[in-house]
Amino acid sequence: MTALAILFLAWLGSSFNLAFASSMVQPDWALALLVGSLLAHRANWVWVLPGIAMHDLILHWSLWVCLPIAAAIPLVLIYLDEHLGVGLPQRLFMLLLVTVMLLPWGWSVQAWLLTVGLTVPAWYVLSKQYAYAT
Amino acid sequence: MLRHRLGFWLIGAIILAVLLVAGRAPLGSWSMLASSPALDTLYVPVQWWQSFSLWFRDSQSLQAHVEDLQKRTQQQAALIQEANSLRDENRQLRNLLDIAGITGYRWHAAKVRGRSPDTMSQRILLQVNGVDADDVIVSSEGLVGIIDSRTDQHATVRTILDGSLAVPVTVPGTALAALLRGQGDRLKVSFVPLEQAPKVGAVLYTSGAGGFFPPGIAVARITEVKPIPGQLFADVEATPMAHWQRDNWLAVASHIQEEP
Repeated sequence: MTALAILFLAWLGSSFNLAFASSMVQPDWALALLVGSLLAHRANWVWVLPGIAMHDLILHWSLWVCLPIAAAIPLVLIYLDEHLGVGLPQRLFMLLLVTVMLLPWGWSVQAWLLTVGLTVPAWYVLSKQYAYAT
Repeated sequence: MLRHRLGFWLIGAIILAVLLVAGRAPLGSWSMLASSPALDTLYVPVQWWQSFSLWFRDSQSLQAHVEDLQKRTQQQAALIQEANSLRDENRQLRNLLDIAGITGYRWHAAKVRGRSPDTMSQRILLQVNGVDADDVIVSSEGLVGIIDSRTDQHATVRTILDGSLAVPVTVPGTALAALLRGQGDRLKVSFVPLEQAPKVGAVLYTSGAGGFFPPGIAVARITEVKPIPGQLFADVEATPMAHWQRDNWLAVASHIQEEP
C-alpha cells in the first residue's frame, strides 16, 4: 500500500515538475520520494527502480539520468553495510551521489538543494514507518 | 559466500543489460505524453481559481477589461489586414524574383502544457490537435523545434537544443550553408568555412535546404567564432533566438501533404 501511494505521489510530483517548470524553482518531488524510500528500506528496490526509470523517462526522455546510480544503491549498501557496519555515512553519500546527477541534466543548484532537503524528511518518515511495522 | 557475491554481480549485470537495451528504445517522449492527463488535472484548480476570482471583481474593472480587449481586437484586426496585404505583396515579389517562400505549410497555435524542468527546458508538452510528427514549432522570436510524438490532444516537442536535431542554416545575403546542432544548453554550428564565418551577434536563419524547415525563420545568434589551427572550418557556437522557457503559446507549421 505504501509502495502504491509513493509511486502515485511520485507520478504526481513529476507532473507538477512539468506543469510548473517555468513558474517556480521546485525540488524533484518524485526523485526525493523514491530515493527516500530506497534509503529507508533497501529491499524497496523492486518498485523504486521502475519508479526512478519512469521519472527519468518522463522528465528527460532517457534512462541515464539517476537510474544507474539508484540501481547501484542497494548493491553498494549491502557491500558497505557488510564491511563498515550499518550506518548513515554511506547512505548520505549515496543520497548526494544520486541527486547530484540532476545537475549535469540542467537542473539548477537551488532545485538540487531543495531535492536533497525533501529527501531527508521523506527518508526519516519512511524509516520510522518501517521501524514501527517491524 | 562466493555464491552470495556472484548473485550481486549477476543482479548488477542484469540491471546494466536492461538499461543498455531499454536506453536505445525511443520511450521517453511517449512517457511524457502519457503524463498529460495528470498535467490537465493539475491545471484544473488554476482554472477554477481564475473563474472563482471573477466573482470578486467589481463590474467597473470587468467593463474596463472588456473595453481593453475590444480595443486590442480592433488593433489585431488592423494588423491582420496589413499582414494580408504584405503577404500578397511578398508573394508577388517572390514570383518576380523567383525565390521560394514559406509555402506548403499550414500554421496554427498550440498551448504549452508542460516543460522539462531543466533550466533550458529542452522538451515541451503541447496541447494541440491536428498535428503530425515532424511538424515544425516556432515562437514569435524564432525556431523552437519539431514535434516528436503526438496523441489526439497533445504533442511532445524536441527542441533545437537536442543533439538529435540538425537544422540547415544560412545568413541572408551570403553563400553560407551550415548545419546547426544542439549541445544541450547551447548550439554548435558546423561546416562554417573560415572565410565565410559570420561575426559574433549575427543571426542565422533556416535555409530551407532539405525542405524540412520553412526557409527564413530566425534560429540562433552567434556567440563565439573560433578559428581552429590547421582546419578549414571554424568552431562556431550560438544561442537560440526563441525563448520558449517562458512562452505560453507556440505556433505549429504543419507540412501540407501534396495530392498525387
